[in-house]
Amino acid sequence: MGELRYILGGPQGGGLETTSEVLSWSFAKSGYGILSDREYFSNIKGRHSYVHATVSGAENPFHLSYPVDLVGAMDAETVFTHFQEIDRGGYLIYNKDEDNAKYGSILSMEPELKTRLNEFFKANGIGGTLGELSTYLSERRQINVVALSYSSLLRALQQEASVIAAQASRYVSSILIGSIASLVGLESSSLAFGLKKRFRSGEILKHNMIFSEIIARQLQAFSYKRPSLGKSSLSRGKMVVASGNDFVAMAKLMGGVRFQSYYPITPAADESFTLEKYEKVGGDRGSIVVFQTEDEIAAVTSAIGASLTGTRSASATSGPGFDLMTEGLGWAGINETPILVTYYQRGGPSTGQPTRGGQSDLLSSVFASHGEFPRIVLSSGDHSEAFWDTVDALNYAEMFQTPVIHLVDKFLANSIASIPLPDVSKIEVRRGNLVKNGGDGYQRFDFTSSISPRAFIGDERMWYTGDEHNENGHIDEDSENRIKMMTKRMDKMNLIEESIPEERRHALYGDKDPEIVLLGWGFVKGVAIKALEQLRNEGIKASYFHIRTFVPFPKKSVESIFEDVGPENVVDVECNYEGQAGILVRLNTGHELRKHVVKFTGRPIYLSELVEAIRRVLSGSSKEVLNLGA
Amino acid sequence: MEPRELTAANYRTDVWNDWCPGCGNFGIVAAMYQALAEMKTDPAETVVISGIGCSGKTAHFVNTTGVHTLHGRPLPFAQGIKLSNPSLNVLVNAGDGDLLGIGLGHFVALGRRNIDLVVMMHDNTVYALTKGQAAPTLHRGEKPKALNEPNIQDSVNPIALAVTSGYTFVARSYSSRINHLKETIKQAVRHKGSAFIDILQPCVTFDDIHTYDYYNKRVYELKTDDWNPTVNDENEAQEKIMQAIAKSFELDDKIPLGVFYENTLIPTFEERLGEKLPGYLDGPPSREEIERYGKTIVDGDKFGEIFSQFIVEY
Ligand SMILES: Cc1ncc(C[n+]2csc(CCOP(=O)(O)OP(=O)(O)O)c2C)c(N)n1
Ligand code: SF4
Ligand SMILES: [Mg+2]
Repeated sequence: MGELRYILGGPQGGGLETTSEVLSWSFAKSGYGILSDREYFSNIKGRHSYVHATVSGAENPFHLSYPVDLVGAMDAETVFTHFQEIDRGGYLIYNKDEDNAKYGSILSMEPELKTRLNEFFKANGIGGTLGELSTYLSERRQINVVALSYSSLLRALQQEASVIAAQASRYVSSILIGSIASLVGLESSSLAFGLKKRFRSGEILKHNMIFSEIIARQLQAFSYKRPSLGKSSLSRGKMVVASGNDFVAMAKLMGGVRFQSYYPITPAADESFTLEKYEKVGGDRGSIVVFQTEDEIAAVTSAIGASLTGTRSASATSGPGFDLMTEGLGWAGINETPILVTYYQRGGPSTGQPTRGGQSDLLSSVFASHGEFPRIVLSSGDHSEAFWDTVDALNYAEMFQTPVIHLVDKFLANSIASIPLPDVSKIEVRRGNLVKNGGDGYQRFDFTSSISPRAFIGDERMWYTGDEHNENGHIDEDSENRIKMMTKRMDKMNLIEESIPEERRHALYGDKDPEIVLLGWGFVKGVAIKALEQLRNEGIKASYFHIRTFVPFPKKSVESIFEDVGPENVVDVECNYEGQAGILVRLNTGHELRKHVVKFTGRPIYLSELVEAIRRVLSGSSKEVLNLGA
Repeated sequence: MEPRELTAANYRTDVWNDWCPGCGNFGIVAAMYQALAEMKTDPAETVVISGIGCSGKTAHFVNTTGVHTLHGRPLPFAQGIKLSNPSLNVLVNAGDGDLLGIGLGHFVALGRRNIDLVVMMHDNTVYALTKGQAAPTLHRGEKPKALNEPNIQDSVNPIALAVTSGYTFVARSYSSRINHLKETIKQAVRHKGSAFIDILQPCVTFDDIHTYDYYNKRVYELKTDDWNPTVNDENEAQEKIMQAIAKSFELDDKIPLGVFYENTLIPTFEERLGEKLPGYLDGPPSREEIERYGKTIVDGDKFGEIFSQFIVEY
């Protein structure tokens, strides 16, 4: 098989997040690469959430696909929601105690899904209970149904591990961990490693270890052929296995962020939480202040204030919060103040789809705030890029003394991935044009250097103002001063153009002599690269053009793509309605994208649907709207 | 930097002051110059932070570091500056519109934190720089000259709001009692924690109600023999808060000036941070080394140690 794809579903708040972590660490310990995405509602308890993962022995995967090999269900709703996603010959783990459950009476299920199920059940002549569905799946869809009695498993746990009855129900999600580990033959030492990482020591760890043995024994009763991942061919060594939020937090700490301000918002807040866990790493000699403010206006303006004192500072937010930050960004722009905003994209507009993903904030990040000032906009395609882009973003902010916006999709932020340990000795910290002891003649906005001499508040006397100002930072509305100051600031855009090379702005994957080029950005990267492999197997020569910086834009490389394959053969692949990167391509190069594959359901683009869409584009379609995923 | 002996005049920049002749703001900066000179304040270690409005220009007129921020946002800017470098002396000059209108959320939030800085509110009852609309300090029924009709929104009581938000030094002064204001500023600077001064500031151009004459007739100074605003014991706090609130509603015929409330028993935010971050006070964010020869100071081994939670060895 080489690759295992699974979905684990259950009620929000039921322990799925833990399940995802434990399995990710365990698979990684056995040498497998993993990507484990989390899909959930804006809800704390009860609504359907699920984990969708790809485990691979051949690579660190960055794609998800349907159908899946296995669905593990904590509850009946999961089975009703995902049974159609299981491949023939795949597996379903579910609770047979619920065989009488009917989808019609599941309160948390959305009515549209019930209607679709009604049609399906009617067309296939099945009654509406879980038991009947299970029979249908094993008899007519050749699915290996692992029907377990969760209550008897929990009773066994109570007896063997002396867990009291009231607490046993907390271990339902552990049934999924144990069954998957046992089904795929995960080494027990790896499972123990994953469990220990999560629960450290003590009772809960012990119970989980005992429980996984109980489950393994139960599963011996099933005579199905086991799914096999085969041996991993990944090279041995250390891996980092973490979510995108965590990777950004790690990079901020490594890159020297010592002040991070934030106002809680999904899917950004986890980053600040992680950073706060490490606030004491400086020991007696230092600290990281993670400042929870009253709103995002205060978040961005306090981070700017910190930056004025020479602190590397940053904030993290998503759409609604970024909107509130825009006035502050302009202040940082006119005052040549370094600031990094990590912008986690979720589905908009307004509250939109607060826990779902998207790429619809690109234009907002490029154009936000009134007036004109230099900025840099970066976007990350995977966890490794998110780490290194954060490091670069911090350097760019200080080198060019201007705001940097770093776009990260929710898909990346909330999914756990494995990557080889980054070589942190390569982390550069470039602080730009700093001056000490400027003395009485010090002018913060000196005209003589293209990047202003930056002293820190506390070391020199200086002035700042959001009004147009003279070299001293005092208000000045003289026309000639305005022209000089504006030109000096905006000239930094030329400097940015010169300093950030074309190779840094994009990456190109796949066939060197393609007939078709997919153009995308952000988390589209992983699935697009994987799609190339599949297309090649079908005899289609394709490549993927990945945009990594929107300001500065990879203009020359995009132009040459259009020249090489012709505008008919460039396909825009994005998670938004308008094709926002396509709009920026046109703005920067004059080329119009004529083929679009877009998705705006809040779910990531999956391999199977992307390949299918490209096939359609090749046979003439100019726009494909994707909609896979529960 | 070795502080030179500076006179009040040295704290004045040579930027031409473009306030209307007779504006109450002149008295405020005069008192600031004197207070800064008397306290021998180091100009490079002192930061005057202002919002947007006539009052916002203050940052340019004082010869210390000045940060002229956004309308309503001087407080979060000031907090970022102070928290990343707690040894700085931070003074905020803001309009009543800045603090109690557009930036009210920040005003309350600062009180909850008790960060060690001084907030001076230029209380002129109007949005002066936008030509005299009603500020949140203007009472219902009043009609200063720029309004078409009398104000139909109620006013905010700045003193009561400050006290209940958690400010630990709350006072009122008046721009033409320069000596009183100067002394109040010095007290506020010396106070450890968030200090708020409501400064009555006649806007001679737009406010034809709250004129010098109006205030001169009404203001009186709270004398220490019959007024004690200081909390000496935690059990007294509530009583002193109630007393300050009651006093703050004396507004019609007699307007009290002086300290309404003072409490030095509440830990500052910096102390609260220092308690959870042992390195904070000695190595605050702005003073930390983050770079050596252009590289991060954290090496690979340290990275593995710090983030062991995320590391898996195969
Ligand atoms: C976000 C925003 N909205 C509106 C304005 C316009 N504006 C400039 S000054 C001001 C009011 C100033 O009033 P106040 O804060 O009381 O200061 P004063 O001029 O009275 O000293 C307003 C509304 C602005 N600068 N920014
Ligand atoms: S408008 Fe009022 S507050 Fe502004 S400078 Fe003139 S008098 Fe002073
Ligand atoms: Mg005002």
